[in-house]
Amino acid sequence: MTNGTRPTQPAGSAPAFYNNPRFRALFYQLLLVIGIGYLVFLIISNTLANMESRGIQTGFDFLSTTAGFDILMTLVDYDATHTYFDTFIVGLLNTILVGAIGIVLSTIIGFLMGVAYFSSNWLVQRLSVVYVEIFRNIPLLLQIFFWYFAVLAALPSARNSYSLGDAFFLNIRGLYLPKLISEPGAGLVYGSIVAAIIGIFALYRWAKRKQELEGVQLPVLRLSLALLIGLPLLATLLSGIPFTLDYPQLKGFNFRGGITVIPELMALAVALSIYTGAFIAEAVRAGIQAVPHGQTEAARSIGLKDSQIMKLIVVPQAMRVIVPMLNSEYQSLVKNSTLATAIGYPDLFTVFVGTSLNQTGQAIEIVFMTLAVYFAINMTISFTMNWFNSKVSLAERK
Amino acid sequence: MSHPVVPSDTTTPTGGRIFHPKAAEPAPVTVVGKQAWLKNNLFSSPLNSAITLVLLALLGSFIPALADWLFISAHISGQTQDACTGDGACWVFIKVWIQPLMYGNYPDASLWRVNLSLILLGAVLSSPYWLPPKLRNKVDIMLLLAFPFMAIIILDGRLLGLEYVSTAYWGGFSLNLFLASASIILGMPLGFLWALGRRSNMPMARSICVVLIEFFRGVPVLALFFMGSVMLPLFFPEGTNVDKLLRVWIVLTLFMAGYMAEVYRGGFQAIPSGQYEASAAIGLSYWQTTLLVILPQVIKVSMPNILATSVMLFKNTTFLMIIGIFEILSTAQNALTNSNWLGGFSTEAYLFVAVIYWICCFSMSMVATRIERKLDTSHKS
Repeated sequence: MTNGTRPTQPAGSAPAFYNNPRFRALFYQLLLVIGIGYLVFLIISNTLANMESRGIQTGFDFLSTTAGFDILMTLVDYDATHTYFDTFIVGLLNTILVGAIGIVLSTIIGFLMGVAYFSSNWLVQRLSVVYVEIFRNIPLLLQIFFWYFAVLAALPSARNSYSLGDAFFLNIRGLYLPKLISEPGAGLVYGSIVAAIIGIFALYRWAKRKQELEGVQLPVLRLSLALLIGLPLLATLLSGIPFTLDYPQLKGFNFRGGITVIPELMALAVALSIYTGAFIAEAVRAGIQAVPHGQTEAARSIGLKDSQIMKLIVVPQAMRVIVPMLNSEYQSLVKNSTLATAIGYPDLFTVFVGTSLNQTGQAIEIVFMTLAVYFAINMTISFTMNWFNSKVSLAERK
Repeated sequence: MSHPVVPSDTTTPTGGRIFHPKAAEPAPVTVVGKQAWLKNNLFSSPLNSAITLVLLALLGSFIPALADWLFISAHISGQTQDACTGDGACWVFIKVWIQPLMYGNYPDASLWRVNLSLILLGAVLSSPYWLPPKLRNKVDIMLLLAFPFMAIIILDGRLLGLEYVSTAYWGGFSLNLFLASASIILGMPLGFLWALGRRSNMPMARSICVVLIEFFRGVPVLALFFMGSVMLPLFFPEGTNVDKLLRVWIVLTLFMAGYMAEVYRGGFQAIPSGQYEASAAIGLSYWQTTLLVILPQVIKVSMPNILATSVMLFKNTTFLMIIGIFEILSTAQNALTNSNWLGGFSTEAYLFVAVIYWICCFSMSMVATRIERKLDTSHKS
């Protein structure tokens, strides 16, 4: 009857079953599951009842019906006769576009400003501090409004646009760039770019082997830059320049031709990059500071040059700290890009959760699809950064 | 080595020579002083000198123009936009709209209630500094947890027999402050509970907490607000009308809890397992160990991150304008589209909101840095 209890314990005072930790754990979890299950049941039954009384349909049939509204900016062919699924694709591509621009620009700004903190020039160092402290502490939405309503809205009209060499125009309607149109033969040039990239990888491996075996260092960066620029240039010249430029031209009240960057995209991309750049600068600063000063001193004492110390000693160790922070900053940049809806940039959130949801009323399906997309984008970022992290992180003693 | 020979003419009674040190030479100007500072920090190399000159030229052209716009040519007297002529900033705009920007549409006669709640907030937040140490632990947490409800009672007014002010009239910067503080205060303990659940040995509890934390961290906060305003009403039985601000508060609290749980997770990892073992050795129960031994240390270790997350939440309260809550940014946008004020004062309005936010957020991050420095015991060169 008192199996498992110590023999010194008097019979009758055996721990009651409700004092057994395993039983308790089971009991609490059962309680939790019942509670949550009841809550979920309540929510589902309420939702179904509410949807029925409001006449909202369920299911994903709405995706194949005609959307009937136009979208300000589309990367693929789209007009009002397309379906809701097409609006989803258009919004998704616009979200990816602004996310990609934001990630690239914020990384550039962030690394420049993060490194500027360690400049020997006092003004540059102050500039970095002022930049980080100002833009980190002002709400992003306010910054988006500032760029959109205060800066871009103050640009001149189409007739008085700022122009650069009759090719680039900036006015209140947006930024106009010349467009590259490829003609027959351009395939050779594109092929040469791919070949250059493959060549750089091969060069990198070969240089590494050569250094390991012979101790000879090749100027890999310069060689790969030469490869990346030289090969496509050569191909272009050989194939007789198979490109024409489509310049934007003022026709009536607006520009035609070329590439148009709408002001909504500009404001959103600039605000996201500057805001996130401040956080990245802070991460870079923290990463470099996390490298003990003794590392630099030791490197100097074995006779490395300053540029070598940075490249071989400081940056690889700082990356361990920087990359996980970059990961979360990139993810929050993508999440923050939903603020597009405040100025009307047609990203996934504006187009799908905004207009499409209003028209169909199918909140559950639309919100589910949208959230799935944001989860998927963030997972992709997370996996890429973790892969990158495992590349850059030092092999530590286990 | 022999002792130096003492010259005979300056002998002392002890037989030695009195040592007169020479007066110290001033440090060379190349090392100390203004000139050296300029040389080392601004003109240390040709490249640095060029950068310095370019930056100085930029600042020299920018700062006078900015100062002129901000102060010298700015307008402050008058009550309408006609008072603003010329190029300077129009601070009349801010002067006229300051009350909506700060208090929303709260009735004039009851503004003291908003002020009282703000003072209460300040008192509660500063209570660790003025409460006697004996009371601190017990009273402080109670005060904090009670604050949101006290503020609601004062602002709503029905329970106190004051004039009823519906939440539709609450607004302005005070609303940002109240929403942020109320959701931070409730989100912190909830997040701790989720973080505990994530560490628990019970697989069911753990998976539920992981799902909650990852959901609220992974979803854009704007999507959460949309779900709060579009989907949450579907979840309640037909006919129930949950107040919009209450829904927002729930969403913000859950959002804060998700991020806080992640912050605490880092804090838990910093607690050495000896702390648990020692608590078990003196016979503390699970909750005693958690609340009396672990929680205080976790909070201490993660304080800088707690503050950073709070700053983020406070900044995110501006997103509420998108779902039609009259917080400060949405009031500013309303003022900018007012038919009497169409003169294009957006820069002034945004600058005003930015300065208010910046002061609040910057002081919070200063506190975080100070705590971080205090806790940092590593040796820095």
